[in-house]
Amino acid sequence: MSDYVNLVPLWICALVVFAVILVQSAIYMRAASQAGPELGFTRRDLRRSFVSGGVAAIGPSLAVVIVAVALLALFGTPAVLLRIGLVGSAATETSSAELAATTVGGGLGGEGWTPEVFAVAFFAMAMSGGMWMVGTLLLTPALKRGDTRLRQVNPALMAIVPSAALVGAFASLGVAELPKSGVHVLTVAVSAVTMTGCLLLARALHAAWLREWGLGISIIVGLVVAYVAHQAA
Amino acid sequence: MSEHTPETSHPQAGRGSGAAGATETEAARAAYARYDRTTSRWGRATMAVALLVSVSAPLLLILLTDLSPTAGQLLTAFLAVAAVFGMFWVVEPVTYYPVLGPAAMYQAFMIGNIANKLLPSAIVAQAAIEARPGTRRAELAAVMAICGAAVVHIVSLVLFVGIGGTWLVAQLPESVVEVAQLYIFPAIIGAVVVQLAAYVKQVRVVVIALAVAAVVQLLLVPRMGDLFAGFATAIVVFATMALAWALRDRRAHAA
Repeated sequence: MSDYVNLVPLWICALVVFAVILVQSAIYMRAASQAGPELGFTRRDLRRSFVSGGVAAIGPSLAVVIVAVALLALFGTPAVLLRIGLVGSAATETSSAELAATTVGGGLGGEGWTPEVFAVAFFAMAMSGGMWMVGTLLLTPALKRGDTRLRQVNPALMAIVPSAALVGAFASLGVAELPKSGVHVLTVAVSAVTMTGCLLLARALHAAWLREWGLGISIIVGLVVAYVAHQAA
Repeated sequence: MSEHTPETSHPQAGRGSGAAGATETEAARAAYARYDRTTSRWGRATMAVALLVSVSAPLLLILLTDLSPTAGQLLTAFLAVAAVFGMFWVVEPVTYYPVLGPAAMYQAFMIGNIANKLLPSAIVAQAAIEARPGTRRAELAAVMAICGAAVVHIVSLVLFVGIGGTWLVAQLPESVVEVAQLYIFPAIIGAVVVQLAAYVKQVRVVVIALAVAAVVQLLLVPRMGDLFAGFATAIVVFATMALAWALRDRRAHAA
């Protein structure tokens, strides 16, 4: 498995994507520094915006790091960097991988997690993440022209249907874990309870950072309990 | 989905040609038009390259090794994912556009973490330079803040995941790696369901989703075979959408 997930071209793809993101930032900064003076946006404003935006992103970035490290054992470093570095989140990417693995009769981890299943799952993750970018590339110019048709959807529909789809998707994937084994049931429950605790504490202590770190903390607590239960089972 | 729908407080980065238009001088208009052209052209180009490279990675894996999943298997896997997340490929760009503006769209949907990282960064930066929401200054501040966030995002991933994380995983005993592989998904999904339930604040929708999921995954999947299992989550998604709409609280959502 390690030979496949660590294939050199995958590392190169990950590094190229990171380079592209940095190049985009550089082009945007140059454009802003050229247009800025005419728009009341000084070089000092530019520097302060860049630095304060970067500093504000440190906490959330480290929270994402914890989650990404937890995914390394499953997907290998290049795939994690590609998927988490780009638009994907841990929840969507692992869900896409699980959905894809199920269609070929496999699953994440264990006997059913073969290099073939990984290839199919990695393809599905890349395509799914890619479609968010396709959506952006196609829709942004239309929205910019002020194409209002896209926004003339019934607001009640928009308040209910997307959240229903999202909750339905993750509820389904969560319930699907339960018949797999007692340790799976325990892990889902511990993860859910830990997140509940984090959210309640975040509210009680007005600690917004706990909301960001909740997923990382829940994953680690869930995996520790799973480890103990798995050894005992 | 990759991002939750935006928070109510948002940086109002850009509203196309609206907001600041009335008081602008000719020079300012020209400068903004140049900025808009550059960021749109290069934003699209860089996003297209990232898209191609990210999709070519799994294709290279298949072409360069002895792995040979069939085109049918790849298509089925993609359709199973599309049936679940496809709606968000359209809904999210449309939802975020008024908050982000055109330039930041190409940043945000490349980097991700919009609601939890990029929007907070943009708001902090606008406060730091005291830019009024809806102005060009605010728009540029948001885009520069996202540039700063992008650099932190890349550096943290390279250092702590690419180098540190890879080293850490290599040190772990086989038994820990095995458990991390087997139980990472249940360890994520339990927390995500709770997080989402707290976020959407629609008890009715959450109850409907869990009930539909229980019926489909626990009663139907064991009886219906593999192909059904592959699309079971898609069925739950569509049934939940339909039921949530049919059983909505008509007083709360006057439609």
